[in-house]
Amino acid sequence: MSTTTPDTRSDASAVLVGEHGGRLPAPIPGERPTSGTSFGRLVHVELRKMLDTRAGRWLLIALGVVIAGALTILFVQQGGDHPFGTYLQATTMPMAILLPVVGIMAVTSEWSQRTALVTFTLEARRTRVAWAKVVAALLVGVAAVVFSFALGAAAHAAAIGLRGAEGDWTFTWTALLGAAGYVLLGLLQGLGFGMLLRNTPAAIVLYYVLPTGWSILGSLWSQAEKAGQWLDMNRTMEPLFSGSLTGEQWAQLATSVGVWVALPLTVGMWWITRAEVK
Amino acid sequence: MISVDHLTKRYGAFTALDDVSFEARPGRVTGFLGPNGAGKTTAMRVIAGLTPAGGGSATVLGRPYATLPNPGRHVGLLLDASAQHAGRTGREVLTLAAVLTGVDRRRVDEMVDLVGLTSKEANRRVRNYSLGMRQRLGIAHALLADPEVLVLDEPANGLDPAGIRWMRDLLRGFASRGGTVLLSSHLLNEIERVADDIVVIGNGRVVAQGTTEELLAGSGTVVRSTDDATLRRALEVAAVGVSPVATGGLLVEADPEAVGRVALRAGVVLRELRSGDERGLEEMFLDLTATSAREGVAA
Repeated sequence: MSTTTPDTRSDASAVLVGEHGGRLPAPIPGERPTSGTSFGRLVHVELRKMLDTRAGRWLLIALGVVIAGALTILFVQQGGDHPFGTYLQATTMPMAILLPVVGIMAVTSEWSQRTALVTFTLEARRTRVAWAKVVAALLVGVAAVVFSFALGAAAHAAAIGLRGAEGDWTFTWTALLGAAGYVLLGLLQGLGFGMLLRNTPAAIVLYYVLPTGWSILGSLWSQAEKAGQWLDMNRTMEPLFSGSLTGEQWAQLATSVGVWVALPLTVGMWWITRAEVK
Repeated sequence: MISVDHLTKRYGAFTALDDVSFEARPGRVTGFLGPNGAGKTTAMRVIAGLTPAGGGSATVLGRPYATLPNPGRHVGLLLDASAQHAGRTGREVLTLAAVLTGVDRRRVDEMVDLVGLTSKEANRRVRNYSLGMRQRLGIAHALLADPEVLVLDEPANGLDPAGIRWMRDLLRGFASRGGTVLLSSHLLNEIERVADDIVVIGNGRVVAQGTTEELLAGSGTVVRSTDDATLRRALEVAAVGVSPVATGGLLVEADPEAVGRVALRAGVVLRELRSGDERGLEEMFLDLTATSAREGVAA
């Protein structure tokens, strides 16, 4: 600081006046890092990026509105007299349906908004960025499931307390785990579609059209109907909600997850590590 | 320090970079000059590890960019000011970079202030920024983690004259502290005023490079006199290259002092004597790039 004077226009200590009269950023004291960015910091940033945009906010608001609407209907209908499981479904289902969009946009916005340019220059190990997105999406999913559980419980308790509904707290942990699996697999599928297509509208449309496509195909052609038992994720994930799967159902689930989650993620990551970022 | 060594990049039949070699040294501002589509951006993207090189190599601080630990703390990049999420606020963009590079978040406000954005502007979404504001945000982003090297692609675009002057001072100050600056521009005057070294690129090829002084010195002397014809003969006798300038006077391939001595001996009265600096480099730039720019369109 001996050759520089603090700038009078600013009380910011890190801004100095250089010899040319222009203000310069102050050096950060200490050695420059010799180790790479930690994975935790990458996950932190990816998590923040999922929620700090206008699109991200609106998605959460929309989710809140849908859940609030579903709970209100339950609350009013039949004097709010529904078992806890029904309330739980009202909070979980909207999340399972809408959250995959968070996964899709976590990847596609990097390309549509061209932020990949910044993302991959601040962390050049692109696979780590991709995995940070996966972990961040899973954290969002887990938080969503915990939140929907708490919200469903609160709504059921409120129905008992305020509407005099009969308390029915029966639920199986396996069903809850199944619901969590449903939400998390949806998020991962969204990520995979995002990485594969890198285009928001295309990924969203494909994600939501796919189940309808299966049912149309299945009604037209019996071979497709058979294939759908193994490949239509909407059908293979359904038993998750009941909480018990047979061996064949596990195999069907694994097959569909392999095709629609693991494969897009693998191919997408391979592409990301090799792509030219424009 | 940036070293680019025999860099080549092809897209199908189109050659974007053809055996490009240059260095940007610490303590100096290196200007990367070329018309649009000359390959400046491609070269910078290869340096930043965003585009794989077809052949040759590029290193920053002695190693490939992709192997730098926490690269933001070593190299500040501004490759495209509009490559920011339109739905994020300027402050949020900087905060994300601060978290990722592990820099104290207070530095975000300091950089916002440094680049001349108001706190209110920093809280607006990038969607509502003018190009000039995006450039300022981009420069704040590049400087945030206190890098040793700056790589800026057309940072003067969209800045007003005061902004351009501010940036020039900033880059000069950054280099005078020992930093390395590589900045590109298609505007000669901009580069000429800030750069210590200039690399001129056209059609993917380096067509000239050297210190700004060297490149300027090569451009000779412009002289006007009361008797250009006599002066011209005298200069030709002195075996100095000389050619008439369309707007009057002569362009001489010698420094002003030598031209003055010849005029003194010939007894010719001078009306104007100056080194052909700006005109010279501009003509060089136009000459060197006009052909390649045209070819570039055809390719």
